[in-house]
Amino acid sequence: MNISKHIEYTLLKPTTTEREIIDLCYEAIQNDYYGVCINSSYVALARQLLENSPTKVCSVVGFPFGAMSTDAKVFEAKKAIEDGAEEIEMVINLGFLKSKNYVSVLKDISDVKMAIGNTTLKVILEISELNKNEIIKACEICLDANVDFIKTSSGFSKGGATLTATKIIKKTIKDAAKITASGDIEDLETSMKYLEVGVHRIGFNALLNKKTKKARPIS
Amino acid sequence: MTHLSSYIDHTLLKPTATEAEIIKLCEEAKKFRFFSVCTNSYFTALTKEHTKNSNVKVCTVVGFPLGAMSTEAKVYETIQAMKDGTDEIDMVINLGLLKAKDYTGVVRDIASVKNRLPNNVLKVIIETCYLTDDEIIKACELSIQAGADFIKTSTGFGPHGATLEHVKLMKTTSNGRVKIKASGGIKDFKTAIEYIKIGVDRIGTSAGITIVTGK
Repeated sequence: MNISKHIEYTLLKPTTTEREIIDLCYEAIQNDYYGVCINSSYVALARQLLENSPTKVCSVVGFPFGAMSTDAKVFEAKKAIEDGAEEIEMVINLGFLKSKNYVSVLKDISDVKMAIGNTTLKVILEISELNKNEIIKACEICLDANVDFIKTSSGFSKGGATLTATKIIKKTIKDAAKITASGDIEDLETSMKYLEVGVHRIGFNALLNKKTKKARPIS
Repeated sequence: MTHLSSYIDHTLLKPTATEAEIIKLCEEAKKFRFFSVCTNSYFTALTKEHTKNSNVKVCTVVGFPLGAMSTEAKVYETIQAMKDGTDEIDMVINLGLLKAKDYTGVVRDIASVKNRLPNNVLKVIIETCYLTDDEIIKACELSIQAGADFIKTSTGFGPHGATLEHVKLMKTTSNGRVKIKASGGIKDFKTAIEYIKIGVDRIGTSAGITIVTGK
């Protein structure tokens, strides 16, 4: 099985330079990855580099805390689309979720969804910070907001995706939205396990790829 | 010496912070007469509400903690925080542009935010843990050039926080042209005093109460 079309090639560290974004985009083209996932300040550059290629540009928003004001998330998303982003990945407001202020969690996501129209919206839950009930609640709110994808992790928390949490997400949302598993996934074997439990995309960290070399998950 | 508590930005920035925790933070800040409370931007309005009729200022972080969001989004987050009642903004410098020596881009990022708050304090977090000495010097110069009121060492979410060496370097470089805020890992009275002695104007910490009561 060729899993390259399931890979979101990701580089989000704050010190990322223009040179590294150029490398990221060329590697994504060479390997026929689904897309690149980057911070919003580099969307215009990535769009330019990926012109005439099927590789998508995905911008994170409110990243990695999800703690910026809803209005600021909406603006960052709209600006990213204007710069050429084809998908938006926002972080859920964890503080509102922990406060059980579900109305505000939903409004935060819905406002972004309404502002970006048909552009794919993914919501990062940051499962390492959540218990089982909170994961289920977060998934239900995401479905209420009509999101396209639920993503497990930002990669900047104490842990990334786990199969256990991914199965909980899958059981809760069934086929009403898709799933991206991300954080700590660095080889083909692990990627396959996630695809087998119903994940559609794998967020694959370009830094891990460089560090381990052998890790490149290509069939 | 000015009272120690007036150096403290009482800070809670973890992404899972709840409304109840933020309200408690505000109450503590009023009780201990801290300079400000420092929170993420979705709590600015709540913080303003719970510090009204007090001298405690509201401080909001922007582009936090990576500094990697688009300049326009940082500007918008700032405008919204001002509407919600913030007194001060702590923005994160664009580290990628700095590392790539795109100094025009770095200055533009900071100046675009400063232009929106001409009469309010702007602090620029340079995240010293990722920088060489030369980059720290450059980050200070660019922040001053862009109109920053403070340069600040750390977000508290990088590999480490403030160090005395880095603050001394920032102090020598800025030479009175801008104030300095040390943050990240300052958790007790003795450490806080060490930073104040070398000329720090503000301390960002979640351990303010320990610092002013513990000794």
